[in-house]
Amino acid sequence: MIAVGGEPFYYLEFGDIVLYFSPVTTTLFVLALLFTLFVLASRPERQVDIAFGSDAYLAKVITPGELHFRKFMATACGLASMGAMVTGDVFDFTLFASLVGITNIGIVAAVKNRHVQNAAYQYGLVSLSATVPLFSGAAMVAATTGTLSLIELAKGTYPAVPLAVKSFLVLGIIGEGMAPFYAAKAEMFRAPGAPYVIMCSLSSLLIFLRVVEIAMTM
Amino acid sequence: MIRRISNVISHFDHILPLFAAACAIIAAIAIISLPFTYVPDQLYPKTINRASNLDPYDRGGPPFTQAVIHSQYPGNSPSAGYVTTYLTPFSRFLADSTAHLGTTIVAHPGGILDEILYNTRGLDTVVEPTILFIAFAIASYLFRREE
Repeated sequence: MIAVGGEPFYYLEFGDIVLYFSPVTTTLFVLALLFTLFVLASRPERQVDIAFGSDAYLAKVITPGELHFRKFMATACGLASMGAMVTGDVFDFTLFASLVGITNIGIVAAVKNRHVQNAAYQYGLVSLSATVPLFSGAAMVAATTGTLSLIELAKGTYPAVPLAVKSFLVLGIIGEGMAPFYAAKAEMFRAPGAPYVIMCSLSSLLIFLRVVEIAMTM
Repeated sequence: MIRRISNVISHFDHILPLFAAACAIIAAIAIISLPFTYVPDQLYPKTINRASNLDPYDRGGPPFTQAVIHSQYPGNSPSAGYVTTYLTPFSRFLADSTAHLGTTIVAHPGGILDEILYNTRGLDTVVEPTILFIAFAIASYLFRREE
């Protein structure tokens, strides 16, 4: 039925919102689940800066508060991407995607570093403005087909979704998942706390993969 | 040339203008490809009865019977429609005496519950406050962080 992602073998119903587990969505879901478990189990790396020209070196300290907050944000990000991977409803997917976007900002914004904070501010603005194409895309899907369920849209009995509407949806996801491309730059080299930024990258990769599946399904 | 482009892109100050430009291009494409045909057979139909005292939120039906709630999979929400017409006595009094109860959807207990929101699309309603709470968590963490 859903040709792109394979035949769903399990449906989980929440009223009109039916989560479906097809081979593709299950694979993505398991990836997100594994990384969430890794994030929960891992300790942040401790960076050491060597002062040039002397024997001194500076160990960067992560306070417990910052550690807990970033672990919380990374876990929330993992849960949000797990939801986004298996949801069978366009509007629900956009909601989970914006949750992923805001937790990505949270992971980046927790770092006490002027440069990183400036970066997080810019991601916040992008992710804020990305909600406009994202939710308008979902609204236009509802207007042009009359339904929001991907399982119904995959049957092919509904009118086709216009290409511009799909591009709105993809553009919104790009805006929500934009952060890691720059976060990797700002974070990995300037801020301590390695495993959490990986969650940031992985979640945006996963929602990109999922939006491709959704755009090809409907 | 590629090096110059990648240099411009690599500054995070430039991502908002770039994203805005992408939005403008896609919006222009969308405007060119108009009109989209509106499908009148919508999943969640909206009928507004201006004469009702519960004006925009009147879902119809007498209390304690099941009102008709359109949903994609009616089998998944068998109890939809029971709560939507329920009003507490105070709310019923307000509905009978004023014409504006429908605009106070959350302002009083036992008010009008929109079952499309809270029953058939309940997961959406769970995710929406989650986004809000995460935003509050980030804001309060940043605000209360010791300098």
